[in-house]
Amino acid sequence: MANKHVNALVVGAGAGGGVVAKELATAGISVVLFERGEWPIYDEHPNDELISQRTEVLGSPFGPDHLKNPRVLINKEGKKEIATPIRGGYSNNAACVGSGTVSYGAMAWRFMEEDFQLKTVYGAVAGSTLDDWPITYQDLEPCYEKAEWEIGVSGDDTQNPFAPPRKKKQPMPPFEYNQEARVLYDASKRLGMHPFPLPMLRNSVPYNGRAACIRNRTCCGYACPVNAKNGSQNTVIPVAMATGNCEVRTGSKVVEIMVDDRGKATGVKYFDKNEKPQVQTADLIVVSGAAIETARLLLNSKSKLFPHGAGNNFDWVGRNLMGHAYTGAYGLFDWDILDFSGPGATVAWCDFNHHNPGIVGGGLLANEFNRLPFLYCGVRPPGSERWGKEHKDFQRNMYHRTAQVVGPIQEMPMYESRVTVDQEVKDFWGIPVAALSGDRHPLDYEHCKFLSSKAEAILKEAGAYQTWQSVGGQGGPSGGQHQNGTARMGNDKNTSVVNRYGQVHEIDNLFVADGSIMLNGGGFNPALTIMALGFWVGGHIARNFAGTKFK
Amino acid sequence: MTELNRRNFIRSASLATGSILFFSSCRNQTGGYLFFTGEEALCLIAFCEQIIPKDDSPGATDAGVIYYIDRQLSTIFQYDQETYRNGIRNLQGYCNKKFGKSFEKVDFAEQTKLLKQLENNKLQEIEWPLGRSSDFFNLVRSHTMQGFYGSPIHGGNKDYLSFRMLKIDYPLVIGQNRYRSL
Repeated sequence: MANKHVNALVVGAGAGGGVVAKELATAGISVVLFERGEWPIYDEHPNDELISQRTEVLGSPFGPDHLKNPRVLINKEGKKEIATPIRGGYSNNAACVGSGTVSYGAMAWRFMEEDFQLKTVYGAVAGSTLDDWPITYQDLEPCYEKAEWEIGVSGDDTQNPFAPPRKKKQPMPPFEYNQEARVLYDASKRLGMHPFPLPMLRNSVPYNGRAACIRNRTCCGYACPVNAKNGSQNTVIPVAMATGNCEVRTGSKVVEIMVDDRGKATGVKYFDKNEKPQVQTADLIVVSGAAIETARLLLNSKSKLFPHGAGNNFDWVGRNLMGHAYTGAYGLFDWDILDFSGPGATVAWCDFNHHNPGIVGGGLLANEFNRLPFLYCGVRPPGSERWGKEHKDFQRNMYHRTAQVVGPIQEMPMYESRVTVDQEVKDFWGIPVAALSGDRHPLDYEHCKFLSSKAEAILKEAGAYQTWQSVGGQGGPSGGQHQNGTARMGNDKNTSVVNRYGQVHEIDNLFVADGSIMLNGGGFNPALTIMALGFWVGGHIARNFAGTKFK
Repeated sequence: MTELNRRNFIRSASLATGSILFFSSCRNQTGGYLFFTGEEALCLIAFCEQIIPKDDSPGATDAGVIYYIDRQLSTIFQYDQETYRNGIRNLQGYCNKKFGKSFEKVDFAEQTKLLKQLENNKLQEIEWPLGRSSDFFNLVRSHTMQGFYGSPIHGGNKDYLSFRMLKIDYPLVIGQNRYRSL
């Protein structure tokens, strides 16, 4: 029996898709929210480091199935390799309702004004497609506010002199500093920096009918045992469902967007829970599959007017794949600086996001979320033994005496860093898979060295008897859990995929609302910005959609 | 046509159709192992003990790391089976020739020296005929660390002994504040 036609389809129930579904459903628009995964279950991988969202050595706690969803990596010489979610380079995102927002560290950053206008602020960067967004921070400000209040953010921007302007404060008070944060706070103030409490998409106090955080130190990478971590699955998606206008259809893998001969999107093809091929038609479609899967879906959706994929007549779909290289430093102390008060990362610095001499952009710094045993095996000063008694001694003696300051660097977009589709390798459902290729801009490494040097300075001032840097930004392409850039916004259809409202150029009823539409990733974790873009795109659709078509 | 890593592609494709292919060299073992022969296990136990030796606190042998590696090689790490088979064969071949005995019977300090050579690809091709010794070494090192410091639910880290060593045992555990029954 055919599925009943609905007004809107949203593909992907993550940070962007969940918000869009809520904006549409509350406006009276009927929505099917597709998710290839299932509702997350807390009890499946609660205390397992090797199956966690940060360390997927033995499996992905929230999917996707590692046997059914290969990707291809193409190296600089053109050699191809298969990657799976558990074998490096895959760039996995959780496949469940809420996606990464179930298990993330949940830092809640607004981009700064400069992040929307990197070309104006810094000039063009040779070899990079760096450009200004077609929207400004002020355009998105009301959407950031909605995200903070409807999803739930703890923080106090008045303590951050670099914070962008805001109309309304964050709804919950900030988290208290833990022990190492207090030490780093004092040290950085002596250096003239401006530490402040890290804003979080996490309940510092009871909020929205759910409990306050229990301060579990090993939070990042795991679902929350008391549901105090805020994601789309426990906020906007239930609100959408409560209207009666939104069906969340899990276990549904959307494989193609159907576009008719006149260039109108008519629906999607997907495989349902029982692996049966199905069709769902609708008046409009919003794609929110994250940068890699969104690009793959668009590229796999060929039609008469779009023989190279939906919205891809000018070869910008899949281009400019970015993520965040992480970079920072470690310090060893002669006392137990580590405490077990969560969420772990509590102090941050935005001194180095912008206007650093000779640096385009920059990034935030914060103390690190977790200390976990297997990952700690790799935390050693340069020149240390990699195994044997010395390695074990260090593990035992220094586990509680190590501190880390780290942050994401704003990457320079590269046209050749891209998602394509491999025509030979297919997934379990017979659909050609995403292929990742390209390299980073050489400035990423330079910028990482800069940010790491600042991290090291804080640790030295804090009294570490030994410090070393851990510098990222080499080897590409980027991607990872902060993936973005592959369907960028722009006013010119020749050099972008969507317009300023996330609407695909030339396909009026097809939208993208996830990290793909960003032109750069900021020097910030992107989740709150992706949620804000969900409110932006979803709000635009809700205001302009009348019955069966747009006004 | 660009070159695919054909072995991985075939494995991936066959796994993708829902069937699990075991390599012909894998067989049910006596001695309680799913993948290793008894002799292979003795060799690997000594290797893992070099990676994380017993001192004031238990080492890899006490932690049962061999059971972690054995289990994962039979399931999720099937593509590493050949590396282990060949690596152990090479190692025993070299030891029998140089020392007149198998690796696990060689003196501890000599074992350490030898493993450093493997780690740094210092043996001649004639001494280490199949594959790169550093690939085998790094795999065993990584798996030993996983089996020792990971959750006991995967076969190693017996009774959370590494968590006790790190003073992060009950009631402080990873992810939530209670132990799950195994």
